[in-house]
Amino acid sequence: MSLSAAQPMPDSLLAQVRAGDRDAFATLVRAHQGSVFSIGLRMLSRRDAAEDLAQDVFLQLYRKLDSIESLEHLGFWLRRVAANLAIDWLRRLPYSATRPLEEGAEVAAQEKDQDLLMSRELMRLLGELAPHPRAVMLLRYQEDRDVAEIAAMLDMPVNTVKSHIKRSLTALRGQMIGAKLVDCEELP
Amino acid sequence: MNENFANEFERELRRRLRPVEAPEGFAERLMAALPPEKKSTVVAFIPKASRPVRQFGVPAALAASLLGAVLFGMHVANERVIEEQKGIAASQQLMQALRVTSQKLDLAYEAVNNPPTAGDEENRS
Repeated sequence: MSLSAAQPMPDSLLAQVRAGDRDAFATLVRAHQGSVFSIGLRMLSRRDAAEDLAQDVFLQLYRKLDSIESLEHLGFWLRRVAANLAIDWLRRLPYSATRPLEEGAEVAAQEKDQDLLMSRELMRLLGELAPHPRAVMLLRYQEDRDVAEIAAMLDMPVNTVKSHIKRSLTALRGQMIGAKLVDCEELP
Repeated sequence: MNENFANEFERELRRRLRPVEAPEGFAERLMAALPPEKKSTVVAFIPKASRPVRQFGVPAALAASLLGAVLFGMHVANERVIEEQKGIAASQQLMQALRVTSQKLDLAYEAVNNPPTAGDEENRS
């Protein structure tokens, strides 16, 4: 069972990890594994690839613990590395082109949502976005990060982040309405 | 597009994009894949008394320098002997050259002071 990233962790935890306390490191992993794995899953659309990516991210963290300044910085660092690593992997292997729908269905099934079809379609549409806009959307709506943070994480201008969000939202809304998965009665 | 609808859509997106659980046992597998702990390096302190090599260090250095000095002295003396032998040889060659020159001069002086007579000429022909 993962700890929630929002669950408060003592400041001394990072010092314990730096001192070589492996149990403390495992606590950090459990606190952030859900977010890192979800970024991998929704970027790569495959559970096996997402687990490999998450493991790679945490192994990098273990090697670079000395560069982590605070628990807040840790959260930023993990998401930054996960998103950029996923973009790199997508450049090398077109994961999304293989089987986005099936894995998206797994995500949706886990949510046990009544509207399974909408979740499934949303994951499929998200998987059709280009890697950078997809990462932007995940950091914005999955991780609830603001545009300035996303710009820093993905090393892109703030206006580019805003533009990706606007275009992606328009595209997603349009396709969801087109598929009659969104109630558009409120439209003028 | 209606602003309420846009906000509602974003809310829905957030709800459906909540992070999911990592696979069961992920943290355990990761911890097993971590590199082994760095063992602290123990630096052994060996007292000077227990280092036999060090006990002979100074005498060995003295002996080596003494041997070096002797060899250098022998080399210098040898060079000096060779130089002396070269000087003697050069002096002997000079003396020999002077002796030959002196004999030549004596012959020339004799020829100038005692020129050959007419009888001598006749006897010759």
